[in-house]
Amino acid sequence: MDVSRYVDDRPEDGVFRVNRAIFTDEAVFARELERIFEGGWVFLGIESQAENPHDFFTTTMGRVPVLVQRDGEGTLRAFVNSCPHKGARLAQTRAGNARLHVCPYHSWSFDSAGRSKAIKSQRAGCYSAAFEQTDHGLAALPRFETYRGFLFGSLAADVPPLADYLGEAAKLLDLVADQSAEGLELVPGQVTFTYEANWKLQLENCSDAYHFTSAHPSYIRVLERRQQEMSADVVASVWENSDYWKEEAEGVAGGSYSFASGHVLNWGIFGITPAIPLYESAGALAERHGEGKRDWMFNMRNLTIFPNLQIAENASSQLRVIRPVAPGLTEMRTWCIAPKGESDAARRQRIRQYEDFFNPTGMATPDDTVSYENCQIGYSGTVEPWLQGYSRGMTATVPGGNRFSELIGMTPERSVLADAQLCDETLFHSYYRAWAQRMAGGEEA
Amino acid sequence: MSALLTRAEAEDLLYREALLIDTQRFAEWLELFTPDVEFWMPAWRDETTTTEDPDRELSLIYYKGRRNLEDRVMRLTSGLSTASSPLPRVVHQVTNVMVLDADEAAARVSAAFTCHRFDVRMNRTDCFFGRYEYRLAPCEGAWRIACKKITLLNDTIPTVVDINAI
Ligand code: FES
Ligand SMILES: [Fe+2]
Repeated sequence: MDVSRYVDDRPEDGVFRVNRAIFTDEAVFARELERIFEGGWVFLGIESQAENPHDFFTTTMGRVPVLVQRDGEGTLRAFVNSCPHKGARLAQTRAGNARLHVCPYHSWSFDSAGRSKAIKSQRAGCYSAAFEQTDHGLAALPRFETYRGFLFGSLAADVPPLADYLGEAAKLLDLVADQSAEGLELVPGQVTFTYEANWKLQLENCSDAYHFTSAHPSYIRVLERRQQEMSADVVASVWENSDYWKEEAEGVAGGSYSFASGHVLNWGIFGITPAIPLYESAGALAERHGEGKRDWMFNMRNLTIFPNLQIAENASSQLRVIRPVAPGLTEMRTWCIAPKGESDAARRQRIRQYEDFFNPTGMATPDDTVSYENCQIGYSGTVEPWLQGYSRGMTATVPGGNRFSELIGMTPERSVLADAQLCDETLFHSYYRAWAQRMAGGEEA
Repeated sequence: MSALLTRAEAEDLLYREALLIDTQRFAEWLELFTPDVEFWMPAWRDETTTTEDPDRELSLIYYKGRRNLEDRVMRLTSGLSTASSPLPRVVHQVTNVMVLDADEAAARVSAAFTCHRFDVRMNRTDCFFGRYEYRLAPCEGAWRIACKKITLLNDTIPTVVDINAI
């Protein structure tokens, strides 16, 4: 595929443009599934989703149903969630506990290590010798690795080790994993929503500082009302203590980091404030990890691990998994992610902040997803196919890190240091450079 | 208002609530709630159970206090929310109303609902359905909603669900 038709990347001319077709074209989408979601590292879930012996959870990689299963000895494995007999989906639920999976169609069974346990009426089956010699276990994912409790799989075997794929961005996962010595958990209660637009709109929006005051003025007004009132009925918001969203704020407010393989972070300074549930651990975290790293845990952070994991720690803490369904349809699976062992009060605060901001039944996310749908509608207008939304920060981006990334010994490929108004868009370049790399080559699509 | 809530009174209140939302008379809708109302739509924990402890588990919506509902109404009608402008057209059908128990201080009522929503913006029709559980309490000479729990059965949310479509 000639990717220059979709991504016009000419740094020497100060040009970076993305063609609208990248969000609508059926052939592009089919190739994204094949090359990106079914052809490389994809986030599957976190370890605590299958904590105990024989626990499992299910997910998808592109179109492929996946089963992540812990066996009796504690080993986690990942399989295609499809019976080798005639292909039926094996595990039917999002999560559960099973020593044995029995296929609902013809009762072939599998133990929690994925091995074939029994084939119904095998002796009477008049099978050939060739069949008897075939392995009837579940097909394991060609690659399956974990980093700090974050589980990733690949349907292609020829990918670099996970640590290489994550690269320096792994240090941003550390900031999540290290918030508690006991590790991480997903708060019970999964929220799933869809939107009628391309998956890359979610990818971009997470990293888009520019939209906040434009798309969320109704939410900002609610915050202002609550701030005036200080009633015990309303939950404290982290934004109240921050200038981050105020357009007139001055000085360094945050910025962005871009990494190889398409991972990006945008971030802002919140400070150590009681409005953040982690506040109760501020002292202990500084002792354990040093003040620099502790301060980073309190920064507003929107992290994308390309292509399908986002961890947003801003109004609260959210883990999102992006699933492309069609060029104009995306499914989002979302959870509140939290450090294990936090106090009841901190947990309650985290949950309340989360519901208001992140839920599709809340006061912020709908104004994002509806904007994605507006974009998707607008993309049909191809009179001028090239989009102009990748240009802010073009003269601010520098190679390597800065004094903030040094605090956690992190060396990104590029960085931007920003005040509240800059709202860098060059971090999107990292998405589309990784995208172009993965999509390029091979037979013409 | 009778000393013990009757089914007819419960139906009147629930139908009136539906009408007020459907016709966007939000100020009157808010008056149906007690100041310390608990307004709760749990999330689903798994295929068969919803979350039960709003302090330890996630809800789709959880508020204690009517003033939070006032925030939601303010946002919905502010003209500042893309998702809410124009407001979708909705109609609630509330059925299967039963008074589960009643004394002078309170009554518990259950009902079933469907809400049809036409999102003009996207030319898209959705239907949400589930169950209501109310705790009604007498307040200034009328039965008011002290607690409303909404169990949304089809919880894969198509882009957005706001307080007017549940
Ligand atoms: S498809 Fe599973 S046993 Fe036949
Ligand atoms: Fe947003």
